[in-house]
Amino acid sequence: MMGRTIVIDPGRCIGCQACVSACRECDSHRGRSMIHLDYLDQGNSVASSPTVCMHCEDPLAPCAQVCPAEAILVTPDGVVHDADKSRCIGCGNCVNACPMGVPKIDLAAKLQFKCNLCYDRTSYGLAPMCATVCPTGSIFYGTLDELRSERPGVEVASTFDIDGTILSTGVAVVVPGDRPRDLPLPGGAGEHPRVTGSPQPAGHLEPNADNVLGEPL
Amino acid sequence: MTIPLDPDISPPGTTRFRDAGGIPADRWRAIRGEETLVPTHCCFCGVQCGMYLRVHEGKVFGLEPRDHDINRMRLCPKGLNAYQQVNHPDRLTAPLLRRTRTDDLRPVSWEQALDVAAEQIRRIQADHGRDAFGMLGGASLFTEKTYLVGKFARVALRTRHVDYNGRLCMVSAAGANKLSFGIDRAANPFADILLTDCLLIAGSNVGECFPVMTQYLWGARDRGASLIVVDPRETSIARTADVHVALRPGTDAAFFDAVLHVVIAEGLVDQEYVDAHTTGWDEVKAAVAEFTPDRAAEICGIPAAQVVQVARMFATAPRAMAWHARGIEHHTQGVENCLSVINLCVATGNLGRPGAGYGTITGQGNGQGGREHGQKSDMLPGGRSISDPVHRRQVAEIWGIDEADLPLAGTSMMEMVHQMRRGEIRGLLGVCNNPFVSLPNYHVVKEGYDALEFHAQCDFFLSETAANAHLVLPVTVWAEDDGVMANAEARVVRHRKAQEPPPSVRTDTWVLCELARRLGAGDKFAFTGSEQVFEELRIASRGTVNDYYGITYARLDETGGIAWPCPDVTHPGTPRLFEDGRTAHADGKIHMQAVGWHPPADPYDDQFPMSLTTGRTVAHFLSGNQTRRLGGLVEQTPRPWIEVHPSHGFANGDPVTVHTRRGSATFPALVTEAIRPDTVFVPYHWPFPVAANEMTIDALDPRSKIPEYKVCACRIEAAAEITPVPPPPMPPGRESYAEAQRARAERLPPTSSQGRGTSQP
Amino acid sequence: MLLKRHEQHFSFHSIGRMRPVVAGIVTALVLCAAIYLGSRGLHNFDSALAPYAIASVFLAFGIAYRYTVWISSPGARRLFKKGWGAALSWQNMRRAPTALPRMIATYLGFQKFLGARSRSRWAAHQLIFWGCVLAALITFPLSWGWFTFTSPTGSGPQYSMNLWGFSLAKFDALSVVGWIAFHGLDLAAVLVIAGATYFLVRRMRDREAGTGQRFGYDLVPLLALIIISVTGLLLTFSSVFLHGGGYQFLAVLHMAAVVLTLLYLPFGKFFHIAQRPAAVGMQLFKYTEHGSVQPCRVCGEPIDTTAYVENLRGTMQDLKLGFDQVVLTCPRCKRLARGQAYRTEVKRGF
Repeated sequence: MMGRTIVIDPGRCIGCQACVSACRECDSHRGRSMIHLDYLDQGNSVASSPTVCMHCEDPLAPCAQVCPAEAILVTPDGVVHDADKSRCIGCGNCVNACPMGVPKIDLAAKLQFKCNLCYDRTSYGLAPMCATVCPTGSIFYGTLDELRSERPGVEVASTFDIDGTILSTGVAVVVPGDRPRDLPLPGGAGEHPRVTGSPQPAGHLEPNADNVLGEPL
Repeated sequence: MTIPLDPDISPPGTTRFRDAGGIPADRWRAIRGEETLVPTHCCFCGVQCGMYLRVHEGKVFGLEPRDHDINRMRLCPKGLNAYQQVNHPDRLTAPLLRRTRTDDLRPVSWEQALDVAAEQIRRIQADHGRDAFGMLGGASLFTEKTYLVGKFARVALRTRHVDYNGRLCMVSAAGANKLSFGIDRAANPFADILLTDCLLIAGSNVGECFPVMTQYLWGARDRGASLIVVDPRETSIARTADVHVALRPGTDAAFFDAVLHVVIAEGLVDQEYVDAHTTGWDEVKAAVAEFTPDRAAEICGIPAAQVVQVARMFATAPRAMAWHARGIEHHTQGVENCLSVINLCVATGNLGRPGAGYGTITGQGNGQGGREHGQKSDMLPGGRSISDPVHRRQVAEIWGIDEADLPLAGTSMMEMVHQMRRGEIRGLLGVCNNPFVSLPNYHVVKEGYDALEFHAQCDFFLSETAANAHLVLPVTVWAEDDGVMANAEARVVRHRKAQEPPPSVRTDTWVLCELARRLGAGDKFAFTGSEQVFEELRIASRGTVNDYYGITYARLDETGGIAWPCPDVTHPGTPRLFEDGRTAHADGKIHMQAVGWHPPADPYDDQFPMSLTTGRTVAHFLSGNQTRRLGGLVEQTPRPWIEVHPSHGFANGDPVTVHTRRGSATFPALVTEAIRPDTVFVPYHWPFPVAANEMTIDALDPRSKIPEYKVCACRIEAAAEITPVPPPPMPPGRESYAEAQRARAERLPPTSSQGRGTSQP
Repeated sequence: MLLKRHEQHFSFHSIGRMRPVVAGIVTALVLCAAIYLGSRGLHNFDSALAPYAIASVFLAFGIAYRYTVWISSPGARRLFKKGWGAALSWQNMRRAPTALPRMIATYLGFQKFLGARSRSRWAAHQLIFWGCVLAALITFPLSWGWFTFTSPTGSGPQYSMNLWGFSLAKFDALSVVGWIAFHGLDLAAVLVIAGATYFLVRRMRDREAGTGQRFGYDLVPLLALIIISVTGLLLTFSSVFLHGGGYQFLAVLHMAAVVLTLLYLPFGKFFHIAQRPAAVGMQLFKYTEHGSVQPCRVCGEPIDTTAYVENLRGTMQDLKLGFDQVVLTCPRCKRLARGQAYRTEVKRGF
C-alpha cells in the first residue's frame, strides 16, 4: 500500500454518484468520467460501491503486463497510469485482464482510459477529485493514520483473493465488521458470482456472430 | 464481404463515459494558470456547500472543491454540475411576450416588456381591485431578493396576495418551531451531529436530498452514535441504520406519540428539564396516553417492539438529536408531525446542548433565509407577523409608508391557485418557481394559471410554468449576482458574483425596482445592487427574533458564515439555540403542544388501496428546470420511475400506471424490496405527462397550508407503454441543447433510486 | 511474490538477450547492402551526406533491436504473430482484397482514430505526419545515394531525377515542378513546425497534457522536430538570401540534430511510429480469425471475439498471472461480484 492512497469503504457509500461527476471535472480527465459506480443489489436494496483503479502492486499492474503496446506506465510512486496516447492501440487487453474491472476504452479513438489517481492533483499533494468530494468518506484519500484519526479503530486491507491468486494493491479497502484483517478480501471473479435478481438491462446481445460481424472472413 | 473496419464490440459499460453535458473532451477547458477561483456556495439544497467557481476571461467554466466548514470540500452530483447552468445554451436571452396564450412568445425589448407588465398590473388592479394581482416568490432566491419580493408586493403592488414556494417545502416545520419555541430555525448546527449519541432522522432521505450532510451522520456513527431512520423506503442511510422504522406514509404523529408514550411509561422522561422549561406537558402526556405501542404498530404497520426499541435508544442516550425533513412535513398534519418530534426531544431533555437538539433540514438553498423576511403571505421582514399591529407599525415606518396602506395577510400558494380559478386573482408575477411541476394536482394548477388574464414569470431557463406565461423575463443565475442565503443551520453565507450576466439578462432586483418605478413606488426601490438591499434588510430585521443586524457583507467575507440571531456587528452569531434554556417566547418556555393523529386526507378504498408517496432523487432538484438540462445529471437519472415492491408481480422495467382520484401516469417499474408493499414511490422532478404531481392531492395542513405530497391513495396496474419524457421547454424556434438530452429517451428505470449505474446501458 | 516477479523478468531477458542484437545487426547489414547496391556501388553516393547515411544504419539497428525487444514480451509477441498472420493471410487478401489497404489508409495514413480523440490534435498530427513522410521520402534515398539529380550541363536548369541510377523524370529547375522538387524539404519543414508548435504549446498550457509529462519522452521529440525543421529552413534561407552566409555552421547544426534524433528515435516517443501498425494487425486478427463472440459467463453480454479472448488468456498464462479465467467475466460482473461478496460481510452499522 502506498503512503497516501485511496481507501474505499463501500459500506458508507450512498450511491449518489458525486464521484462520477467529480471524476470528469479533473483537468487530466477532461470531461470524461472513468470511475465506476455499481448498484450491487438491484431489486433488494440501494447498496452501491465505487470502483477506482486499485493500482495493483503484486502482481504489478496486470493491465500493464498484458499491454501489447507498452502503453501503460507505472511510476515509482506506485501509480498505474492511463494509456500513453501515442502508444495505445485500443486492443482492450487491459480492459478484460484487469481483475477489478477498471479500464474503459474508446473504440473510435483507439484509446484506453482509466483512473490515474488524478495524477495532476495527487502529484501536487491534492487529493483526487472523487475522494475530495465524496460526501460520505466512502472514497478517502490520505494515510492510514489520517484515516484512523477520523474513524478510530478502522482496519483496512489491500489484498484480494482472485480465484486463488493473491493480489495486493496500492489502494486499500476498509475491512468490514468482524472480518479478520489479514484475510484477503474476496476478489469476486470466481466461477459463480450471484447475478442480481432483475433481468438484464435492455441492449442485451445474444452471443452470436451474426449480429456483430456477419460472416467471418 | 468486407471486414468491419471499426467494429463496435466491448464488454458492457466499458465504452461509456459520463461526459459533462455534451461538452466534448476536446473542447474541455483545462488551461494551466489562467483562471480565477471565486469562493461561493452551491445554488441547490439547504446544506449550502461551499465551492469555488473557476472563471476565465469573465466566464465561469468549472468548479473546484472548497474547504468550507459546512461541507469540507465535499459536494454532491448536483453541486458538481451546478456551474454548467451559468453559460448553458438553453439560457433565456431576451424578454418574451405574447398577447394571448394562442400566440407564440416573441422576443421584445426590456422597455417594452416592463411597460406591458406595468400596464397590465395597473389595468387589472384598477378593474378588479389591488388584491386581484398576486405575486409568488421562491426560496432559491438570495435573501435580499426574497425581502424585495415581500416589499414589492406590499409596497409597489399593494396586494395581500403574495406567497412563495417555500410553502411547498418547509412551512410545517416553521409552524411547529414558532408554536413551540417562538423562533423558526434548527436549534443546532450540523457540527453538533458529530457529538451526539443517538441520531434520529425522520422523513429525510439524507443520502439523496442532502448527500453532503451524510458525512455528519457517518461521522456521528464513527464516534459510536446509533442511528434511527424513520422512512417508508429503505434509503441509503436507512440501509445500514441501527433501526429502520419503515412505517406507512402519513402515520408519523402516531409513531412519535407512541414513542413518547413508551418514554413516559418507562420513566425515561427528563422531568427536571420538563418542569423547568416547558408549558403544556400535562396535555401532551394526556394526548400520548392512548398511543400504545400496539396501537401505533397497527396504524403504522410496523412491529410494536420497534416503537419500544426507538424509545429506549433515544431516551437513554446521554445526548440525542432529531432531524427531520419533508417526509413528515408534507402532510395535512405536517405541523403536528413536527411537533411530535419536538415533544420527544423536549421530554427527554435533548435541547440546547452540544450533541443534543433538534433541527429541520431545509430543502431549498435559501429555505431558511427565504422564509424569514416577508415573502410569506402572513409575514413581514424579521419574522414579523403581518397581523400584529405592533409589527405592522414597525415595518410601515421602516418602509416609509402609511400603516393603513400595508395590506393584510394573504393566502397560501395552493389557495391562490384556487383563487385564480375563481377569478379572484387575475394577474400574477412569478419569480423563481415552477408550480406546473411543483404544485400538487397538476390539472387544477394548469386550470388556475390558464385562467389568468396576465401572467409574468422571471426565470433563467424557460420553465414549464414560464412557457405558459404571457411575459417571460430572463434573469440571472446565482453566479451572476451577489447575495446571501441561510442554510439549514440558519448560518447566513455569502454568494459571490462570478461573472457578468449575458447581455439582455437582468437581476431580479433590477426587474423589481424597474417595475416598482413604473408603478410609482420608485423611491422605495432605489436599489442598485444586493448589498444595498441587504443594508435595508439588516435594519428591517433589527431587534426581531430573526436579527440580521450584526451581519454585514464584510463580516461574511471574513468568516465562513454567521448564524442569526446576530444583534450587533461584534456578536459572533448564534450557532446553537436554547443554551440558556430560554426560548423566544415571552415567558422563555417551550410551549409543548398536544398532538393527535388522523388518517391522511385521501381515503383508502377498494379502488385506491395503496399509498403513493413522492420525493426527490439525488441527481435532480425540485421542479428540475435547472437539473433536467445538465447532461451529466440527465445521464445519471434520465427519467422518472415508479418504485414498487416485488409482491405486485411486476418485472423491472414493466410499464406501470399509477391512478389516483386526480390523475394517472405511466412509468417503468423499479421493482425493489426497499419499499413497503403497500406503498409506491414516484420522484417528482418531471413535468406532465410524467409528473408525480399529476396524482398528488392538494389537501393542505390547516395551519401551515402545506400540501400533502407525501401520501395519497392510489392503485397500480400494468400498462401497455411507457410515457416518454418531454424535452425541457424552450422559446419558439430554439431547441434544448441536444447533447445534454441524449439519455432522455431512456425507457428503463434507473438501476437504483440514486440513478443509473455507470455500466447500465 | 515480489521476488518471483523479478525472476520472471530476468528470465525473459536472458532467453532473448542476444536476439535483439542479432536482429539489429542483420537489419543494419541489409541496409548497408541496399545502400551499396542502390547507389550503384557507391557511385552515386554523396559523401557530404555520409553522416546521415551512417545514422540511418544505426537507426535500422536501433529499430530492429527495439522492435525485437518489444515483441519479446508475451502480449506483443502474440499480437505480432497473430497480427502479421492476419495481415499477410492469403485467405484474407483473397476474400477482402481492399480491407488491408483501406485500414492502412484510414489508420496509418489519415489516422481517423485521432480525429475521434480531438480534431485539433488530429490536424496537428497530420501536419507532422505528412511533413515527416515527405521529408523521409526525400532525404533517405538522397543520403543513401539511391536518389540523385543530374544535369547534363552540370548546373541546370535542365535536371534529370534518377532512382537507383535510372532516370525517372526530366524537369526544368525554374518550373513549378522544379521548385517543388528542390523545396520539398522546406515544405515538409513548414508542415512539421506548424504541427509541432501546436503540440508544444499544448504541452505547456494544457493541464491534461502536462499531467505526468516527462521532458525526455514528451518534449524532446517536439523540440527535435522543430530544431531540425528550423535549421533546415535556415539552410534554404542562407543559400537564397545570404548567399551561403553561415551555411557551414547551419549545416553542421542541422546534421547534428538529425543524427541525434535518428539515434533517439527507437528509444523514445517516436517508437510509436513502429508500433502503430500493430493497431491494424490487432483489428484484423480480432475480427477475422473466427467469427464467434465470447459471452460473459455471468451476464451473457458479449465481451469480445473468442479469438481475442483466447489470445488474451494465453498472454496471461504466459505471464503466469494465475487468474486468466477472469477474462471470461465482463468487467461489470467482476465489480458486482466483488461488491456483493463484500456487502454480505457489512453489518448493520458498518
